[in-house]
Amino acid sequence: MLVGTQGMQVHYYRAGSGEPLLYLHPMLGLHGCDAALTELSRHYDVIAPYAPGWGPAKDDLPRIDPGPLDITLHQCDVLDALGIARAHVVGSSIGAWMAAELAAIAPTRVRSLVLVNPLGLWLEEAQGEDPFAQHPGYPSRIQFSDKRMREELLINGRDKMDAHVEELLNLRAAAKFLWPIPDTGVKRRLSRIKAPTLVVTSGLDRIVPAAHGPAWQSAIKGAGLKIIAEAGHAAELEQPQAFANLVHSFVRELH
Amino acid sequence: MKFHWFNLMPWPYLPDDFTEKHRSVWVDVDSRLFDPVKANRVYNDYLDLLEFAEDLGYDGLGINEHHQNAYGLMPSPQLMAATLARRTREASILLLGQSLALYDPPTRVAEEMAMIDCMSGGRLISGFPVGSSMDDNYACGVNPATLREKYLEAHDLVRRAWSDPDVFAWNGKHYKLRYVNLWPRPIQNPPPIWIPGGGSVETWDFCAQHHYNYSYLSFSGYLRGAQLMEGFWRRMEELGCEFNPYQAAFAQQICVAETDAEAQRLYEKHARYFFSRCLHIHPGFADAPGYRTEPTIRAGLVTQMAGQSSAMNQAASLSWQEMIDKGYIIAGSPDSVAEQMERVARTLKVGHLVCLLHFGDMPNEVCRYSTEMFAKHVMPKVRPIWNEYEDHWSPKPMPREDRAVPRAVTMPDVPPVGPPARIAGAR
Repeated sequence: MLVGTQGMQVHYYRAGSGEPLLYLHPMLGLHGCDAALTELSRHYDVIAPYAPGWGPAKDDLPRIDPGPLDITLHQCDVLDALGIARAHVVGSSIGAWMAAELAAIAPTRVRSLVLVNPLGLWLEEAQGEDPFAQHPGYPSRIQFSDKRMREELLINGRDKMDAHVEELLNLRAAAKFLWPIPDTGVKRRLSRIKAPTLVVTSGLDRIVPAAHGPAWQSAIKGAGLKIIAEAGHAAELEQPQAFANLVHSFVRELH
Repeated sequence: MKFHWFNLMPWPYLPDDFTEKHRSVWVDVDSRLFDPVKANRVYNDYLDLLEFAEDLGYDGLGINEHHQNAYGLMPSPQLMAATLARRTREASILLLGQSLALYDPPTRVAEEMAMIDCMSGGRLISGFPVGSSMDDNYACGVNPATLREKYLEAHDLVRRAWSDPDVFAWNGKHYKLRYVNLWPRPIQNPPPIWIPGGGSVETWDFCAQHHYNYSYLSFSGYLRGAQLMEGFWRRMEELGCEFNPYQAAFAQQICVAETDAEAQRLYEKHARYFFSRCLHIHPGFADAPGYRTEPTIRAGLVTQMAGQSSAMNQAASLSWQEMIDKGYIIAGSPDSVAEQMERVARTLKVGHLVCLLHFGDMPNEVCRYSTEMFAKHVMPKVRPIWNEYEDHWSPKPMPREDRAVPRAVTMPDVPPVGPPARIAGAR
């Protein structure tokens, strides 16, 4: 669908019915998220758009400036194009950063907020590994707790070159916002978040260390914190059921 | 043919267990391995070699830019160019080159190159590499998602700064300057521009569009180089460029001795030092996401350095003869070397040879010997190749008789240490 005043073409996944839930994908894009999205769609009208720069939108990257403004306006445009006033927003990894910015800058659009392994804070004493300094042959392997998962979830069943190109270009898109240090300044804006918030971190995440969970939680009023023990950075890809359950229990509690 | 003496200026004191104990020669290489006191001699020896090369008739003296590594100690090649401008007379100063996207504002590059061109009497060749991923993205923090955009904008700004005689505003995406007005300006308008590349298809088109020299710098040897250059010349033809071998340069490790056996005896260990230690690059630093464009990824081209992470540690495990046969190094007696040089020149169709006559931990005297052997016994044999073409990519300096002659340098003798001064009143 076309969104916004600049006529940006947005490709998106949509399934399920119920209250609208906007899923903002991780650095890896949407590939491998199928199981997680299917689980979510059992309870919600799930919309998962490709952010500009990811997947089929790879050529749109130059149209978005780094920083919170362009991407937040874009997410508002997506909701507008779908005729959605307010949605539950679930973001993962870099998508969690985008979700937090949306909740901070356009609070009326966000009914509730779930941040899974969020990037965007820099803790000197808990830096995490550099997701962008990985072997170029398998650059996202580090995001999984088991290296075979990269092959299973991202590569298998696809043209190898296409899959690898997409992997690199998706990481490039993430780099646009997070290079060279993933400190996006969101820290200054977290106190503006009004939506009920749940922070979720993974026990085996090498990119976002455990200490980041409490850091995000303490900066957002009333936020809860949950842990998915047996998962790496790509939590919902590895544990789609556990992920969806956490989201659903959280949202259900709000009513 | 033109011959340029080039030194990467490696750190020659990496320990024997370097590759086992350290993951990378670049970016996060342990700074404790560097000794500034030793560097006093290292830098001065390397500069002596460059000046010596001019005495022997090499056409150009080459220097380049790299950061945070033991592979090459020149984060600022302009500083090297400056001392060469004063201490040499005839040779081209092959500044190959400043990584444009690392300078803010890029007019800094235009200014520094203008200074060198003026100081040298118009002997500058200005190189504009995009720069390696290790340097640009990891050491200097430039975003790989926007590096090439920045580079292209920086290039356009530098070109305009050199040529537009009036003050202008530059309202770019990455650089904004309200008053651009370059003082000084280069003598050459503009200095010849070479683009070092290692495997991006876009660089070829860029060279065709702007009529720049394409300098293929790779350590995968000239057999692989031949394949790539074939692609290059095919693309140039597609784009309607008239063939001229001087529009290409190729860098090659070379060493010469009396006999093939003597060459092995003198140089093999230094070649191994280079291939195994100097190119020991952590793969995670070789190729940031977005550094290679999609067409380059799909063409299966690996960048200069990413290719090294796998390919080069292969070179390190080859025998000496295999290194030569596979084209990683040109080595042997003057006749052997001349024959290999001719093969490189004609197969790759390059008119400019960037001769890496120093490599690895080669000591000064050994390098002087190789440099002299090459100049006296190989150069004359190979020089006539491509003479039927005109070289548009070398400097056009001021006439020699018009150029300023720097004052001759004599170092005053350091006075000997005398007897201790008498302390008044002491007995």
